[in-house]
Amino acid sequence: MRIFTAVVAIAAGILILGGYFFPAFEGMQALLLNWAVILAGAAALVGIFNLVSVHTDKIRRQEKGSVYSALLLISLVATFLFAMILRPNHATMKIVLSGIIIPVEASLMGLLTISLLYAAVRLLRRRADLTSIIFLVTAALLILGSATLPFGNMPVLGTFVGPWITQVLALGGARGILIGVALGTLTTGLRVLFGADRPYGGN
Amino acid sequence: MVVSLDLITGILSFLFTLLVFSYLIGDNPLFRIAVYIFVGVSSGYIAAVAWWQVIWPRLVYPLVFGSMLEKGLMLVPLLGAVLIFMKISPRLAGMSRIAMAFMVGVGAAVTIAGAVAGTLIPQVMGTINAFDLTLASSRNVNLIETLFNGAFVLAGTIFTLTYFHFGARPKADGSMHRMGLIELSAWVGRIFIGITLGAVFAGVYAAALTAFIERIVSLINFIGNFL
Amino acid sequence: MADVIKCPVCGESNLPDQEFCQYCRSRLEPLTGSLKGEDAPIKPGQAPTKKTTAELEPILPQWLRDARDSARKSTEKDSASDDKSRQESFSASSFDLLAGLQSQKAGDEEDNETPEWLTNITGATPKPKKDQPESSEVRWVELGGVNDFAPEETAEAKPAEPSWLKDVTPTNENSDLNDWFREASGSQTPQQPEQPTIPDDSFSAPAAPSDTPDWLRQMAADSEAQNASAAQLSSGGESVPLDTPDWLRSFAEENEPRNKAVKDASDASPASSFGEEPDWLRALGASQDQTQSAGTAAFSEAGPGTFDAAAGSSADNLPDWMQNLPPVEKEKPKQGTVPRWLQEEKPVSSAETDMPVWLSDLPASEPVAPEPEQPAADENLSFGDIPNWLKAAAPQSSIYSEPTEEQASEPSSDTPDWLSASSDASQPQSTPAFSLDEIVDAPPPAFTPDAQASYNMDALFTDMPDWLSNATENPSASNLTPAATSAESITPGELPSWVQAMRPVDSGSPLASLAGSDQAPESRGALAGLQGVLPAAPGYAATNRPKAYSIKLLANEEQQTHAAMLEQIVAAETAPVPIGSFSTLQTSRILRWVITFVLFVILVPVLFMGTQSFSLPVGAPPAIDGAIEVLQSIPEGAPVLVAFDYEPARSAEMEAAAAPIFNRLSKPNLIFISTNETGGILAERFISGPLAGLSGDGGLQSLNLGYLPGGQMGIRAFAQNPSTTAPFDVALADAWTTPQLQGITSLSKFAALIIVTDNANSARAWIEQTSTTRGTIPLLVISSAQAAPMIQPYYDSQQVNGLVAGLYGGAVVEQKNGGASDGTARRYWDAYSIGMLLAMALVLGGGLLNLALGLRDRVAAGEAK
Repeated sequence: MRIFTAVVAIAAGILILGGYFFPAFEGMQALLLNWAVILAGAAALVGIFNLVSVHTDKIRRQEKGSVYSALLLISLVATFLFAMILRPNHATMKIVLSGIIIPVEASLMGLLTISLLYAAVRLLRRRADLTSIIFLVTAALLILGSATLPFGNMPVLGTFVGPWITQVLALGGARGILIGVALGTLTTGLRVLFGADRPYGGN
Repeated sequence: MVVSLDLITGILSFLFTLLVFSYLIGDNPLFRIAVYIFVGVSSGYIAAVAWWQVIWPRLVYPLVFGSMLEKGLMLVPLLGAVLIFMKISPRLAGMSRIAMAFMVGVGAAVTIAGAVAGTLIPQVMGTINAFDLTLASSRNVNLIETLFNGAFVLAGTIFTLTYFHFGARPKADGSMHRMGLIELSAWVGRIFIGITLGAVFAGVYAAALTAFIERIVSLINFIGNFL
Repeated sequence: MADVIKCPVCGESNLPDQEFCQYCRSRLEPLTGSLKGEDAPIKPGQAPTKKTTAELEPILPQWLRDARDSARKSTEKDSASDDKSRQESFSASSFDLLAGLQSQKAGDEEDNETPEWLTNITGATPKPKKDQPESSEVRWVELGGVNDFAPEETAEAKPAEPSWLKDVTPTNENSDLNDWFREASGSQTPQQPEQPTIPDDSFSAPAAPSDTPDWLRQMAADSEAQNASAAQLSSGGESVPLDTPDWLRSFAEENEPRNKAVKDASDASPASSFGEEPDWLRALGASQDQTQSAGTAAFSEAGPGTFDAAAGSSADNLPDWMQNLPPVEKEKPKQGTVPRWLQEEKPVSSAETDMPVWLSDLPASEPVAPEPEQPAADENLSFGDIPNWLKAAAPQSSIYSEPTEEQASEPSSDTPDWLSASSDASQPQSTPAFSLDEIVDAPPPAFTPDAQASYNMDALFTDMPDWLSNATENPSASNLTPAATSAESITPGELPSWVQAMRPVDSGSPLASLAGSDQAPESRGALAGLQGVLPAAPGYAATNRPKAYSIKLLANEEQQTHAAMLEQIVAAETAPVPIGSFSTLQTSRILRWVITFVLFVILVPVLFMGTQSFSLPVGAPPAIDGAIEVLQSIPEGAPVLVAFDYEPARSAEMEAAAAPIFNRLSKPNLIFISTNETGGILAERFISGPLAGLSGDGGLQSLNLGYLPGGQMGIRAFAQNPSTTAPFDVALADAWTTPQLQGITSLSKFAALIIVTDNANSARAWIEQTSTTRGTIPLLVISSAQAAPMIQPYYDSQQVNGLVAGLYGGAVVEQKNGGASDGTARRYWDAYSIGMLLAMALVLGGGLLNLALGLRDRVAAGEAK
């Protein structure tokens, strides 16, 4: 089984890579990608089923917080049934989006505002090194530079310092990070294709 | 009495916003109720989306209404989907490795090609082109500014990459240190990373503040509609 | 030799990590199981079975046949020897020398303790010595000095004692040695000596020979030098192995030039791994070989190498003190085992020969006819002179001897045990471990408790004498009382059947019978045709006990350091971090509430009043200008692919940033697709919300393709073949036959690609996966402010034509659009600007304050320390 799964992964990867370089492989690449897209959708369903089973177990065992699990399951089943019946993009389903999903997520995001401010204020107390100071000063300058005054942009900061930081200094660092990420992705992908890494459980 | 969808949406929105904001006074059951319901609703909705926008149109429909060729081709993802669903059962979970291996292999190849063609080469070229005077003139940037900015971008890129070089050699006392030049470059790279993360922090705060403002506006509007 | 393991069956070389031969599938390493069934060793009193091996001689190697011939001749020649000569030879037999080794274990309470000589060498404080002669025996064996041999002539002998011995041996040790020697000379009942502790890796490396006491090595070597026939069969041996103690190594190096000649001779020997054995064993084996080469052809397959290598390595290693060793008193002149140097106090000239005279006169050089059935009286004479530990090492030699108890109790000989043992060359009974069967069946060597030691099996079972194997094979036998003092001690030990099978017929026991029907001839390998060979097939291994693995952790210092480091890291991760004080928690909560209060107090009134005091940003970054240029280049009604990839949490920001952009389009034709599950309905919300003004008269056309699963895989699939990957819209209608997608067959047919995302990774995925398929169509990114710094490099590298980020970007575009007062960005802008200014003030002010407080805390902590 381990060998077979490795062969499957490597063969699929090679065929997909071949589609990038050889036109003859494009048809196979498209087919395999289409299959992968379908499997990704099935995997999403499996993930949700796992969520259901976990919370069902919590209810069955009457663990602490099982009431919340019951709420979760009820809301899940109800939403699923409604969405299956009405289709996901039905106008009624927009209630779910605009009445529950967006408010909760946006509110959590709003709470992040306070948490970020608190963290920034406390940062130098816990860690007062050069990187922290540069980090905080940069953040303060860009925050200030992105605001305006009643009479116009923030002098110097909004017209020169802020843009220069974002378009030059931060750009260099971001590019370095992106290249590093790309190199890491390349390495990891090659390890998978070479069979050295088997995140699918082949080891 | 006809209850409009907007009213229901407004009530739910107001209620859930308050429930979540109750976290400002500390963790409490109201906050948990809101979060658990949110997770349940989101999961149920995603499951329906996965069925109606993935499984049905891309798998079931071709199998039922497609041509023989389409049906034949869809047998493989059908088998893969079945294998993935075996992951639910602990006894049969091993069978899902085949489908997972297929997805991992495809994903690895796609990310490799994308990283090389979409990021690695273009970003390296972009670093070189930072000194491109023709491009700079097209953007109304003069020579000195181009060279000056290009030097900073180049330095930031290299030093940041150097920071992620974690190769080290043991010293006589057993401690691990990078080479002197790499250590110095990494130190400079930390400055650039600090600047970049500072910019990201400012962006995250701006996004969070916008959401916070929108929620307050939502609350005000809801209250205002009833007042 | 160390890199490969030679298969004992087929002779092919195998990698050292292999368990079975890759050619014949025979086991390369023995299992440490005890012998059972038909393979069980012979019990005391059981007659060995006669084996017929002569007819198999043609298949033997030439060197082996030569050895057998010479042995046969020697046997015939010596068969006429009288009883006296037999008695003399037997008294000096190497088997007698080892006879007490097996039984010594039971009688010696300290058999596993480090001998004092070793303790002294290592510099450790020696344990309080028991006033027993066995202690001095051991010390004498290892360090034997001149005084030990001639206690009466200490004054003469001491000058010849090497300096290293002076350093190593304490003064009182010497006196003990002398005492022992005196007692040994006249003892009635030899005491149990301490068993010298052999390092675990005695057989694990060629370095083992250095463990041999020099006196034994030298003595054996000198004896070997007398044996010409055996010299031809000698095998190479390393003179100074790595694990040799410094004093021993230096000693060997000093004698290296003199050893070369002998080594050269030994190099011509068959592939023998003599180095697998300790020198002292080698020397003992050499002593055996002198006789066995004359008596048994079978022995010559294993024994000669042992003997000759020992000789080669130690023939010239005799220290001056040994070469000039004065003779001891003449205690048994009638016996041939008493050397001449013990009878005559004649100094030996070093220039005379490489071998001291006293050694050259050893009876070992006189092959004696082997007598499997040794008279008990003869044995007893010799047993009484042999150190018990040496007797124990030769249990099999006593199989054929049946000493009476009364004889055992008698004082036998005053000849030093080691001398009588080393000079005994007439004992053929102990056939060396030549059989392949040991590969499977042989127990680990007697002094190798670690069964996993990486000794060379081939060498072990071709060179090691069988008495050594059997020394541990029968622990019960080793628990017997001292061999020289009781009948039990000389009770014949268990002789494995394979040893029995290898016994030469001519010189074997008269009681030996023909092989039984169950002993089929070996059909393959070097032993093909031989009977009684234990099967080496893998299947046999199943009947034995599983291989014993060492429980010792094989980790070097670096690995242990890393393990300790990892342990510390794990411990640090799991260790709870103590809370400094509850006042800190209280302070944190208060600070959090203060920030919340300030934000609410300032922002709520601003938003409630809906002030628009703060001006929208003036001017535009190049990225926003680029986006506007892209929008202006899009023709009316041209299909624009919009990737709607953001989370509902950021819908406000994204809608505020995207709405002004799409509002700049004239009669837009927007095709929405999303890699986010909620992207489809968010697009619906966006269409019905911020873009509502474009509907109707605005000429907005839109098509929602819905959710595109698979992340980068889905994007790649869609970029390569859009119609196949997303054939339907969210209403499950055929999307590619609608007017909005007329003529669109590939991604490059779209007028533009607009990515609306709050995630830099999502933007990166779209940029990367469409880089080869989108052609020259413009790419525009509308992002959250948090993702903008990581998308900026793509704009700088011209992979992205425009970038509009966050509420700031939306405000800029709104300003470009004319600054309508009902725009989302405009409505939020005052609160946004105030919130940003407030944040800056809190970050800088609070940061500076906390920096000062932190420095104060650190100073205080430093002072406290």
